[in-house]
Amino acid sequence: MASPCEVLIETADAATAARIGGIAAGEAARIERKFSRYRVDSVVTLLNESRGRPVAVDDETAALIAFAKHCHELSGGAFDVTSGVLRKLWRFDGTNRVPSAAEVEALRPLIGFGRLTWTPPRLTVPEGMEIDFGGIGKEYAVDRALALATQGFAGAVLVNFGGDLAANRAPATGPWAVGVERPGTDREARLVLDLKGGGLATSGDTRRFIERDGVRYGHILDVRTGWPVQGAPRSVTVAAGTCVEAGLLATLAMLEGAGAEEFLEGQGVTHWCLR
Amino acid sequence: MQLKTTPGALRLGLMAASCSLLGTPAVAQTTPDTPTDDEQPWQFDTGLLYYKENDGRVNSSEPLVTLRKDFGEEHVFGFGFEYATLSGGSANGALPAKKLQTFATASGVRLNNTDGTPITYTTPSGQTVAQLQTLTLYQINPGFLPVDPNYHEQRIAMDASWSQPFAGANHVSTGLRLSHELDDFLSAVNAGISHDFNQRKTTIGLVANFQHESLKPPGGAPVPLSDYRLSDKGGDRTKNTKGGMLSLTQLVLPDWNLQLNYVFDKQDGYLTDPYKILSVIDSAGLTTDYIFEKRPDSRTQKAVFLDNRIAIARTVLDLSFRHGSDDWGIRANTIEGSLRFNIYGEDIYLEPHLRWYHQSAASFYRLYADAAGPLPAYISPDTRLAEFTAQTLGVKCGFLLQDRNEVTLRLELYKQDPTVHTSSLAGLSGLDLNPSLRSFMFQIGWRHGF
Repeated sequence: MASPCEVLIETADAATAARIGGIAAGEAARIERKFSRYRVDSVVTLLNESRGRPVAVDDETAALIAFAKHCHELSGGAFDVTSGVLRKLWRFDGTNRVPSAAEVEALRPLIGFGRLTWTPPRLTVPEGMEIDFGGIGKEYAVDRALALATQGFAGAVLVNFGGDLAANRAPATGPWAVGVERPGTDREARLVLDLKGGGLATSGDTRRFIERDGVRYGHILDVRTGWPVQGAPRSVTVAAGTCVEAGLLATLAMLEGAGAEEFLEGQGVTHWCLR
Repeated sequence: MQLKTTPGALRLGLMAASCSLLGTPAVAQTTPDTPTDDEQPWQFDTGLLYYKENDGRVNSSEPLVTLRKDFGEEHVFGFGFEYATLSGGSANGALPAKKLQTFATASGVRLNNTDGTPITYTTPSGQTVAQLQTLTLYQINPGFLPVDPNYHEQRIAMDASWSQPFAGANHVSTGLRLSHELDDFLSAVNAGISHDFNQRKTTIGLVANFQHESLKPPGGAPVPLSDYRLSDKGGDRTKNTKGGMLSLTQLVLPDWNLQLNYVFDKQDGYLTDPYKILSVIDSAGLTTDYIFEKRPDSRTQKAVFLDNRIAIARTVLDLSFRHGSDDWGIRANTIEGSLRFNIYGEDIYLEPHLRWYHQSAASFYRLYADAAGPLPAYISPDTRLAEFTAQTLGVKCGFLLQDRNEVTLRLELYKQDPTVHTSSLAGLSGLDLNPSLRSFMFQIGWRHGF
């Protein structure tokens, strides 16, 4: 998952804690192995290297593709799993390189969920296009890991994969206390939130951005323009029933830029925006 | 912090989509198109195979039924049932001759006097032969390969197998096969273990198997090298095979899978073919007698098999090479290739198949027994032990239909050309002593998941 992962378990029994931790870790590893675009043997790599031929996918992958399609439709095209090719231009790696408008335009024909052919269970990814579940994979792993970890275990469990988290319920001693990092200042909590259950996800440029000529380009890219979203909060944290839902809402809010808070209020979502 | 009580339309949509996503059972990563960790429906395969050889030799038709069930988490049960009937002609091993030859079908049972000596009679040509019960004679015209036209065999076989994960990255498997033929009962068991590592890209496996056959040729197994005309037969015989296979499977690239197998088999017992006879030929090339063949009572076989499966988009190339040898002196090499590709979208595929095979002869293979010299310890005229080259040309066509149905048609042409098939002896000159074999196989299969 390329970020710190933890599982908090309400139990006095070390063996139980180890077992549940192992279940969550195993599920995280499974999902990463299956969907990471960085692994040569993942489904995503197979799809991205299919050179325009249809590939039949298993039920779980099909469900994720269907979910991505829903999100694409619900967001009016703002959320798009084919936006990954933009990363070739936008490297949030500290080099602070901003691509030219021509470079961005050249890539745009390779972006757009509508260019994929999705006839379940077969997905056709045209040559040169790529799909990437990075925008939902981690949140999905959190929800899956929590569901597996709490099978047959009644205690409170909180699964936290790099700041995206979900809990089944609050411990007997009171709600979980979750800190949200202050932008630009790693690991110093600015906000401490009480979480009784459900998912919590944060989207923002607290760790990854390009700053050039006084303009901060966050790592949220708007596929409709090919450029990072301007005027977005430094981070958006959303609470929802599941981590997947919270993550999507946080991402969509970021894509609204200056209108992030208005968007979240309009959707009736519990949220915290840091600017 | 803001809190609203009425969720917006987008949020409702997301809630529904999230529920649908998270309600989907998760499955392990293998590759797309492979079975998942969840329980799968029963998979039912049925096929009808028709096989025919040239010159009125064997033809066979066999319905096959297999059932396979994945109970989830890689617990897989398999069951197969097969019923085969073979009829037509089977070469009896004797050579063609320039005069009419008369043989008795192997099912004949010798009649004995009360003291156990055979009851014999003298044929019009002056030969002393055993008097048989249920005697069925057949005659072979000059120049033709002696083929017993009354050959009939039927086989009922069933097998069951089970495999499941074991202690982490291991799989164990076990299987049982029972097969009944008119003259043979076979039981076999196998057990194996495999271990995955290197992120499941590498698998090593070991399988051990044991097979026992009891042979009950009609009237008993003939006494090897005895005079065919006296029909000197003993009792039933047995044959055991112990073997093992060591395998290495490696995913070299996401679309290149390599498999290397080493196979070892040791057979013991009655390995002689109870129905094969040899012509005894004198220096003029004339047949003076017929004797039953004899093979060693043990055989050790070893083989190395290398298989490559390469996927290029949705086209799958399979290339394999096999080298085998045994202590009977046979060295065999096989090169085989097939290419599977889709035509007409995703729903019809074609799979052409080519195979080339060559083997050297067993050290005791002979076209005939020499009347002049002493008989060798072992001798057999079985063309399967001769030096020959064989080629298979085939094509399979599959149709993926609605509701998990798949229909396949397979057609294969086989040609087997022995290296040695003539003799310069006067009585045999101009005769094809070991004619080429041509066969034709057609199979129709139906796979259904329910």
